[in-house]
Amino acid sequence: MQIVGITTQQEVFIGSKTRNFRINEFLIIEDPYQNDLMGEVVEAKAFNRYIPLNIAGDFVDSSVLESLKTLGYNIDEETIYIAKVRLLNEALYPVQTGADVRLPEFHEVKDLMIKTKKEDGLVLGVIKNTDDMAIDMDEEYKNLLYTFEEKGLCPQREIPYILDVKSMHHYPHIGVFGGSGSGKSFGLRVVLEELMKQNIPTIVLDPHFEMDFSERAGYLEDNTIDFKDKFKCLQVGFHVGVKFEDLSSQDLKNLLDAASHLTDSMNNVVDVLFKRKDSFSSFYNKLQMLTEAQEEGSIDRIDNRINYADHQEEKKAWEKRKELYLSYDKTCPYNSVKGIIWRLKRLDNEGIFSKDVREIEDGLQRGKLMVIQGNTRILQVFSTYLLNSLYHKRRDYKDALYKKIHSEYFPPFIVVTDEAHNFAPKGYDSPSKSILKEISQEGRKYGAFLILATQRPTLLDETITAQLNTKFIFRTVRASDIQTIKEETDLTVEETRRLPYLRTGDVFISSASMGRTIFARIRAAISSSPHTENPFDELKNKGKEDDEKFLNVIKSKLPINDTELLDIIMEIEKETGITFTLDSLEDRLKQMVEKEYIKKEETIFGYRYKIIS
Amino acid sequence: MIFIYNIHNDLKEKIVNLNNSMEERYREVLSIDKLFLRRFIEEYIGKITSLKKLDNKYLALYEAKGGIVGVDGSTNRMGGAYPHFVDIFQGLAKSTIINNKAIFKSDLYTPLFSEKENNILAEDEKEIAEQRNKLLANIEVEVALEAVRKYKPYAILMDGSLIRYNIYSYDSWINLRDECENQGVLLVGVIKDIKTSIIGDKLKEVYSNINVEVYDRELLFGQLQYGEMIIINDEVNKKNKEGYSSIFMRSSLQPTVIGMDIIDSQKEYLEEMGRLVFTLTPENSRGVPLWLDIVDKEVQISDAIMKGLMERYMNRDLYERFFVSERAKRN
Repeated sequence: MQIVGITTQQEVFIGSKTRNFRINEFLIIEDPYQNDLMGEVVEAKAFNRYIPLNIAGDFVDSSVLESLKTLGYNIDEETIYIAKVRLLNEALYPVQTGADVRLPEFHEVKDLMIKTKKEDGLVLGVIKNTDDMAIDMDEEYKNLLYTFEEKGLCPQREIPYILDVKSMHHYPHIGVFGGSGSGKSFGLRVVLEELMKQNIPTIVLDPHFEMDFSERAGYLEDNTIDFKDKFKCLQVGFHVGVKFEDLSSQDLKNLLDAASHLTDSMNNVVDVLFKRKDSFSSFYNKLQMLTEAQEEGSIDRIDNRINYADHQEEKKAWEKRKELYLSYDKTCPYNSVKGIIWRLKRLDNEGIFSKDVREIEDGLQRGKLMVIQGNTRILQVFSTYLLNSLYHKRRDYKDALYKKIHSEYFPPFIVVTDEAHNFAPKGYDSPSKSILKEISQEGRKYGAFLILATQRPTLLDETITAQLNTKFIFRTVRASDIQTIKEETDLTVEETRRLPYLRTGDVFISSASMGRTIFARIRAAISSSPHTENPFDELKNKGKEDDEKFLNVIKSKLPINDTELLDIIMEIEKETGITFTLDSLEDRLKQMVEKEYIKKEETIFGYRYKIIS
Repeated sequence: MIFIYNIHNDLKEKIVNLNNSMEERYREVLSIDKLFLRRFIEEYIGKITSLKKLDNKYLALYEAKGGIVGVDGSTNRMGGAYPHFVDIFQGLAKSTIINNKAIFKSDLYTPLFSEKENNILAEDEKEIAEQRNKLLANIEVEVALEAVRKYKPYAILMDGSLIRYNIYSYDSWINLRDECENQGVLLVGVIKDIKTSIIGDKLKEVYSNINVEVYDRELLFGQLQYGEMIIINDEVNKKNKEGYSSIFMRSSLQPTVIGMDIIDSQKEYLEEMGRLVFTLTPENSRGVPLWLDIVDKEVQISDAIMKGLMERYMNRDLYERFFVSERAKRN
């Protein structure tokens, strides 16, 4: 390997007759006039001067090449390999043309590749194309993980990529970008596994119900790691919810707003009517009674109601309504109050007010990963409340520490969410956006961090995107997203051009703490996602299952003549409780014939279904 | 504009005239009936046979017996008019067996250092051309000789007629010939541009009414089928007295015909070598075996590299003084 062509202080070309270059590979240039220079391959090309088969303008047919091959000459061996290499640090002078180039050894690149010990960081995968350097790697970095390659599961051959989680204190927040099927969710899973290994308190907002870590991946034979005690899946409205009594009027407004947008006058209604320590029912009743009074229309009619009440109870209730009417009718228009009522009702129906967040807080205190599941809209509502509450708990603790007053300990934590553009969209307001924005801007000081994954970085709020100091960029095809990535990361033009063609699981990691972009491959996950079964396999398996069930039911009754179908239907109903009509049974039997479980034959008495012998 | 047009007009007329006079001169010969000509060739020149491509069994055998070596040379001239230039020659012998390293040799010539004193200009021109041919032929023979000694190939394909070496590099050529005969290496020359007039001369001899000079090149144009070969009878082959047997062959779909020489002691392999050349020639090419094209491409030195070498390894002062012409400084 040698430097060829015109060089600069930043970039050189390297030529070789024998070694093909790989992109993102590291090479050391032994410049005779300067110290050894380290560079990274940014473009790799192979060139054969005889191919395309055009020699002196002639088109060469393959039979001649075949003949030459038999004579011992393989035209492929005339290939020249050329790499464009960017120096990691600018050289003092342009590199000497003709200088030798060699592969670095592990100790020469260790500081560039590995920033932390495997115990202190997240072992997320391998740095691609480093297998040559990994040969003499320290033992402690070997055999940490497996990766998936075309041929299946492979033991680690390359230098591991270890994310220095401590550096998040200086370079907070991680963005995970990539189109669907690019390995984004998978990458997120691996990140979460590592967070669990480190016992870092984490909140995961999981709109896809996929972040379950209890299943071990079947492909890892020596898999002994069990995450069962390290995480908990909680569904909003079922396991966790909002304790109404703990809500401030701002919280309540946020929640109602998440249910459906609040007008100014509705905001006002909450401010006026909601009192601290109101329970759900006391607040709801208050609203209800006010509207009933308003529906009467005037104070005279309410008085009428009071005067002509059937009994004491009713009288009392109408007196109460009158009281509310007098104090609030002017400030709370009927329609706004009605609006609040149906929003409240909607939230209640989703079960949000039936539980509290105690369990989440406890889990975080014990360093667990808490997975909050629910549909996107519910999660938006709930996370607004939850994150506000958790963040301020943490913040209060830190502030109290500073003011030297006693306060209950609350740990630092990480918030992880997929489809982050739903929680913090660009261009319009969403309740969860303000809290995410707040954490993104000042969470670092209090030890609250974000890991936001999205397939549409373009739709993610820009203030938040700007705060993501580490970015994982998987395959991205949309031009607008690539444009955003170009603007928001230090990916080079060559790298952004590769984005649409990345393999699933290959990722550019652009990190402020590394100071450059690393091309890595995410490791095989230790746990498996509940959504891995191919839906088409599922259909097939389900069909087969049903067929076998049905076969078991009718097996003892075979052969079945078409004349006795009615009797059979009754028998089946008696034995199993399954009801068939004449048509549906015949249909089902025909299906079984088609699938060759049974066969149909003609007899002198008509059709007969019988077992295949 | 009009001025230029007038000049071109003048030139146009001249070209039209050329065309007319050529037509007049060659009409008779070139309109000879195809069948008649083929019969004539069969009778007086040699047998026309149709070749089959060699199959891989043969080729694998060749590989086992040392492969095929292609030999070619190249020249470059740096500088201006006499005597301020330098001619650079490079010869290459390349084996189809990839592990047999290609053999390169180079040489250079400049009239500034010719042994003889400078004489009259006209004579110099000839002498220089002679000198160049000698050096080039020599270097080609040398690389071929080294290839024979080092690799003992099955056959050597030289680029161009073998007769050239007789003329320009007699002593080393005889050396190579002997070596090949002793070692059993087939020695073949492949001629892209045939310059003989065997058929034309015979036509003139037989039919006294034909009295124009025609070369085989134009006579055979389009007359042979793809893969057909004429084995030239030794009696009519003018190269025979120098010790060669020759053929003509249409080796590609192009209507042009190429030639091939072999040393007469190896005459029995003539057809086999013809088939080899045919096999190695792509059907859509100009008719040259691909191997020789590859060797040719590899032996060429680009002017840019030549210039770079001169500038790098010559004293700038000397280089400018002697070898940079006014023409080279034009843009």
